[in-house]
Amino acid sequence: MTAVDTRPRTSKAKPRPLPRKRKRITAGSALVYISAFFLALLWLVPFLWALSTSFKTETDASLGQPIRWLPPEWSVEGYRTVLERGDHVTWMINSTVVSTIVTVLTLVLCVLAAYAFSRLEFPFKRTIYGVILAGIMIPPQAIIIPLFDVVSSLKMVDTYWGLALPQVVAPVMIFILKRFFDGIPRDYEEAATLDGAGHLRILRSVILPLSGPILAAVGIFTFILSWNNFLWPLLVANDPSIMTLPVGLGVVAGGYGLFYAQNMAAAVLGALPLLIVFLIFQKQIVRGVAGVGLSR
Amino acid sequence: MRNHPSPPGALSRRSLLAGGAAAAGLGLSGCGSLATSLSDQTVVRQWNLLAGSDGAIMTDMHQQFMDETGIDLKATTFAWGTPFYTKLTMGAAGGNAADVATIHLSRLESLSPTTLMDPIDLGELEEAGLRPEDFPPAMWDRCFSDGELYAVPIDTHALVNYYNRTICDQAGVLNDDGTLLETHGVDEYFDLLRAVKDVTGEYGTSLDTNAGWRQFWAWYRQQDGEWAFHEDGHELDDDKALAAIQVMWDMAEEGLCPRVSDGGQTAANFENGAGGLVQVGNWEITRFRQFDETQGLDFSMTEMPDFFGNRRTQGDSHSYIIPRHNLWSDEGRRATLDYISWMLQHSLQWGAGAGHTPAYLPVTESAEYQALEPNAEYAGVSENVQYDPDVWFSGSAAPLADRVAQVLAGVYAGNTTPEQALDAVKAEAQTLVEQPNPVD
Amino acid sequence: MMTTDTQAPDAAPTADKPPSPTPTAVKRRSWTGLWFVLPFAAVYVVFLLWPMILGLYYSFTDKSLTGRPVSWIGLDNWTEAFGDERAWQSLLNTAEFTLYSTPPLVILALALALLTHRARKLGWFLRLSFFAPFVVPVSVVTMLWMWLYQPDGGLINHYLGAWGLGGDHLWVFQEHAMGSVVITTVWWTLGFNFLLYLAALQAIPNEVYEAADIDGANWWQKTVRITIPLLKRITALVIVLQLINSLRIFDQYYLMAGGGTNLSPEKVAIQHIYEMGFTGLRVGYASALSYILFVFILIVAIVQLRLLSRKED
Repeated sequence: MTAVDTRPRTSKAKPRPLPRKRKRITAGSALVYISAFFLALLWLVPFLWALSTSFKTETDASLGQPIRWLPPEWSVEGYRTVLERGDHVTWMINSTVVSTIVTVLTLVLCVLAAYAFSRLEFPFKRTIYGVILAGIMIPPQAIIIPLFDVVSSLKMVDTYWGLALPQVVAPVMIFILKRFFDGIPRDYEEAATLDGAGHLRILRSVILPLSGPILAAVGIFTFILSWNNFLWPLLVANDPSIMTLPVGLGVVAGGYGLFYAQNMAAAVLGALPLLIVFLIFQKQIVRGVAGVGLSR
Repeated sequence: MRNHPSPPGALSRRSLLAGGAAAAGLGLSGCGSLATSLSDQTVVRQWNLLAGSDGAIMTDMHQQFMDETGIDLKATTFAWGTPFYTKLTMGAAGGNAADVATIHLSRLESLSPTTLMDPIDLGELEEAGLRPEDFPPAMWDRCFSDGELYAVPIDTHALVNYYNRTICDQAGVLNDDGTLLETHGVDEYFDLLRAVKDVTGEYGTSLDTNAGWRQFWAWYRQQDGEWAFHEDGHELDDDKALAAIQVMWDMAEEGLCPRVSDGGQTAANFENGAGGLVQVGNWEITRFRQFDETQGLDFSMTEMPDFFGNRRTQGDSHSYIIPRHNLWSDEGRRATLDYISWMLQHSLQWGAGAGHTPAYLPVTESAEYQALEPNAEYAGVSENVQYDPDVWFSGSAAPLADRVAQVLAGVYAGNTTPEQALDAVKAEAQTLVEQPNPVD
Repeated sequence: MMTTDTQAPDAAPTADKPPSPTPTAVKRRSWTGLWFVLPFAAVYVVFLLWPMILGLYYSFTDKSLTGRPVSWIGLDNWTEAFGDERAWQSLLNTAEFTLYSTPPLVILALALALLTHRARKLGWFLRLSFFAPFVVPVSVVTMLWMWLYQPDGGLINHYLGAWGLGGDHLWVFQEHAMGSVVITTVWWTLGFNFLLYLAALQAIPNEVYEAADIDGANWWQKTVRITIPLLKRITALVIVLQLINSLRIFDQYYLMAGGGTNLSPEKVAIQHIYEMGFTGLRVGYASALSYILFVFILIVAIVQLRLLSRKED
């Protein structure tokens, strides 16, 4: 029963499905390749068109101009204006700070709690676990109104704490981590316990080293969700200097309005950070997102 | 375990930002908010909704203000209307938002000044250089709530009528001096539009079909229509309202104006010649001037046409208010008032650049302002301007205006007949009247 | 574990609780565990549980965002909410959005995953294209699409016009903006379901196709007869997640069709709550509305889980 579940680290060793050896190019597979290629290209059109617009002059970018995929005259004016205004950089820093706090806190708090639920016996354990798991059913959107009031009375509106802490409450991550910890054989710890190690040390030196991939998965997933979170930061960040990127771009008009080259430059800059991260860590992110997604 | 969450508020966002930035290995440069928090300059945070082209004029004025006074002004423009007002209320509820904000004077009561704003003391205002007698009395009276002053008006703005001289000339609707022919009544104006439509091949006039409230209120008020609201109901003059809505229906039905056109599209229609006239706010003047500079657009502007016997128009006043603060620093408060005063005293620029009529009388009465063109051509608007009905859910971008505009967009689009629209408008108003008042 | 290892979904016993760990020396009953749980529990109570309770209380009061004194008004908010046409309309709109967006988000995701799985040599490129939008912030997504949707001079209308397919659509700039928001949503969030399917596909061992290979079945036959049935559990999961996500639609709808000068009389549920509470200042009333929405999402989630677990048995 536990055969598959108890080898968390073996994932890398898992043999990839054997590639088909037949090299014959059939009409069918040619069709598959061609249609896949064009669909993918189509999927990229919004990006490409934004990119093209962002490098045009405002005049060439304005409505009523003929559709041209390559700027007739290349210009970085849009980017310059956006960056000079400075807001954009501030928002990017805010997003980084908030997402980092959320990710680190989620990992720390959830690992501690999940370890306790997996390994320790303590009073009210079942009740507490039940109450926390029930939280999975509460859509965060359904409590925004009173939550704003709570955060407001804690004087946390327009602070990083106010932005981050409510996003740390992710009961599903405890569920995922606990299930993973449950799958780690106890033999390792027993040796450590005999050595007189405390729980924190067992957690640090036995459990965590075996949990690299799941921690990465939870971390990546949390980071992306937090980076792209819109509704809560929209409510709690009113001062533009504390806004995150999605909110800043969404609500601060900043004179973009009718300047489409500028507008698209801002959009491209807004998309860029996570796209670059995604390009670099494609494999890890794909695995992390699929992993957490599948575990729910 | 030392992992309890920190007590709330123990870590301010600035110290956290500093920590976060340092942890991320970021230098001080390239991080605006961090840099300002470390400098000694007094900072005034201003919020506004001037997402239109008048925003550019304000930005220029702000730069000048900073250069002259050494005060660091951080201005933020939010998307016009509901998004701005929502942010403003939430920021004020949090008590940690802007030092000063622009609102529409018609919205003052709907923003619960007594709980969400800080009153302005007449003494400190005078210290900053502004006196009550510097404002038109009727406008000044609107700035009070519960006997306290909460707003300082900067301008009057209204729907006006722009015309493309080149097109209108071809259509033969200009006087000899190049001004637009004055028309009387709906029929005469429609004839003028038909002549223009023949030239453009598309529309006579371009107007914002999402902003039907403004047109409705202007044309309804031209007929002396009143809209009274009380505890459990409201009284709208059906015949007059219907007449106003009928104008929209007929205009769109005949193709004299677009069926659907938002603010940007409306202005673009005028710029690219799809419409020879455009009926929008005086604030678009900046945008059209810019277009004139880059691509050429010979235009001028005049008052709202006479549809029903006069040239009344819908409008409002941008005003400064001070959102509620958890705490003030003395110099911050003083700098904020200095800013307000400076902007008013320099509002000639606001009038010249953004087309608004300044509220500050020393400016409006100056010979310099009187000589401004094309402001002189529509100088009458300040007398003809009609503020929105005085009830808590009314005012620019407030629910009443929003919902009526939604209904009227259907009339322009040809989906809702004027009769249906009238019923819908009345029903919407009734729903709003029946809502409990959250303000007092 | 499924998480990193992506076994064939049907093969892994993920749905059941793992067997209860056997008691060992480590597991003496003590208070230590509470200390481990406390930090999370504290955040959980302050930012989830307490607001939940507070919201219930507020729903019986006239609490206003302006901060004026609160008074108890009994069931007034609730009776008003049940008679609030806009609230019901917003729920209907949310249902409509869910109805339109879920099928393409499931079917198209599966189709693209199958295609990507087949066209292995293009794998990285396809994965990049289809998943990249998911990591883009929603406000950027709406900026891109508002630009594409411009009625006069926008890219989409331009090509529709050029190919004789109309080209005069108003897209989001009209009363009925739902379809346009759905298209944008599909583009934006499909990548997530796509990845789940792709991971599940890659976890299917080749052996299961061996018999079919011997029978000379082609790709299509194998897909229909073997692959898709094997993906049954993952499909159920995707549908549940998707339904719940769609019911919580707010971000892109608010940004594309809500407020400002862009008038769309249609609201979705959370948008209506947001506007009642934060624009209309009526915190008490909006709390009552939140509870009604919450109950709806809960019912859908429970019904779904019931149906699915029965299917599996």
